[in-house]
Amino acid sequence: MQTNIPKTSEALSALMRADFTTQWRNRKSFMLILLVPVVILVSWQGIINKIGAAFAFSTCITIGLMAIGLMGYSNSIARDREKGVFQRLRVSPVPSWTIMVSRLSVQLAMILLLTILVFIAGFYVDHVSITPAGYALAFLAAIAGGAVYLGLGQVIVGLIKNPETVNSTTRLVYFLFIMVGMFSDFSALDEQASGTVKLVNNIVKWSPYGCVKRILLASMEPGTWNMDCTNALLLTFGYAVLLSAIGIRKFKWSTK
Amino acid sequence: MHEGNTHMLQVEGLNVFYGSFHAVRDVAFDVRPGEIFGLLGPNGAGKTSTLSAVEGLLNFQSGTITVAGYNIKNEPLKARANVGVQLQSTSFQAELSVTEIIRLYAGVHGVPVTKQSLQDVLAAINLVDSGNKKYGELSGGQQQRVSLYIATIHQPPLVLLDEPTTGLDPQSRRQLWERIEALREKGHGVLLTTHSMEEAEAVCDRIGIIDHGRVIIIDTPQALIEQYRNDPEVISVSRRGKVTLEDVFIALTGRAVRA
Repeated sequence: MQTNIPKTSEALSALMRADFTTQWRNRKSFMLILLVPVVILVSWQGIINKIGAAFAFSTCITIGLMAIGLMGYSNSIARDREKGVFQRLRVSPVPSWTIMVSRLSVQLAMILLLTILVFIAGFYVDHVSITPAGYALAFLAAIAGGAVYLGLGQVIVGLIKNPETVNSTTRLVYFLFIMVGMFSDFSALDEQASGTVKLVNNIVKWSPYGCVKRILLASMEPGTWNMDCTNALLLTFGYAVLLSAIGIRKFKWSTK
Repeated sequence: MHEGNTHMLQVEGLNVFYGSFHAVRDVAFDVRPGEIFGLLGPNGAGKTSTLSAVEGLLNFQSGTITVAGYNIKNEPLKARANVGVQLQSTSFQAELSVTEIIRLYAGVHGVPVTKQSLQDVLAAINLVDSGNKKYGELSGGQQQRVSLYIATIHQPPLVLLDEPTTGLDPQSRRQLWERIEALREKGHGVLLTTHSMEEAEAVCDRIGIIDHGRVIIIDTPQALIEQYRNDPEVISVSRRGKVTLEDVFIALTGRAVRA
């Protein structure tokens, strides 16, 4: 009866294989998450030349990132926690962080897949493209933006234990962010406005949605990068770190 | 297993608090090699808290727990590598097949798996034709067999079984008892919690009864029955004139139904 502690790489590899398989088996639900931004992009075919490729891409990717972090990640964590899947893994001789790293690697793959799908749909359906540098930087911006929404999803599962409540809360937050996006994207709030309208405009601009959208847009048009974009990037990192810290601190592995 | 160690599990002076509530009070017991130790108690007695502390899932306030000689606080990974756990309140990913679950847990325990060894395992747990079935599609008895196999996939010195036969039909329950007894034959120490006194009497070598967070007695089932056979309280709760372990248990922990 000689037992050993497995190598971390070996354990992580087994966890990732299982998590990717589980994600694949749930492909119908994650395809819906990926399809929403693609459908929006396709529906903008008629106005794409007016709004610009970078604007369309950044909006669609932002919406997709919200769906992945809020709906996909948090709901899968809440469901598996309720079933006791995490507790079953935590009694094995692997550090707890490997369980989460494995889960996050699946989400990272989803973010990359989403970004690729949006670019492919833009190229083949809307016939729009951006520079190679724009594509490359957009992937990095998507990962940074994805971290914000994964952090927000982590806060939700950290504060709420019941999976049904997690599900309804994430839908509500998703809807609120879409509303913020509509204000931001379609200039419902005038840049020249003053008073309360200006205040709300600033809140939207520096909200997680506004910051992620701004860095995505600027990364696809590197020539337009300015001080506001740098501030938005710093705030994006700040949001990601702050939300993740709160989410991890409040998170309980079990609902009991 | 740590060299020179004679206990599979040793719990000494364990105390667990939830806020100001003292859930486990100075609990002490041990599990020896080749022994099935039953931890019995009414709902809320402190069984789950004790078990969670042994599994390393609960941060206890004082006391010492050593698994196969490894202190669970000082060397948690080594201690967990020496324990196999089947928890009633935990599950596997329902979307994964039986073979995928076996591969996952072999991976996290550092156990090599080949196609042949997988086939051997499936044959041993009577699931040769169900290897590709998803866990969520298995019957309760099949799920328990998978769960027990996963708990022992790395041949740990100590196996923790939390109400393993709950919800099983008599045939599946008997088969599981045989599997648990086979673990004992191989020298594993088994810590078992159950609400079934029939099960405890049938398979446990020693029993610890816990109530209000304290271990009130530890002995063999037969010795407990003998010791309390003439106790007026035991006689008053016994049915059909024959004293059983359940009568002793009820006499010691009271007739009141716990939440």
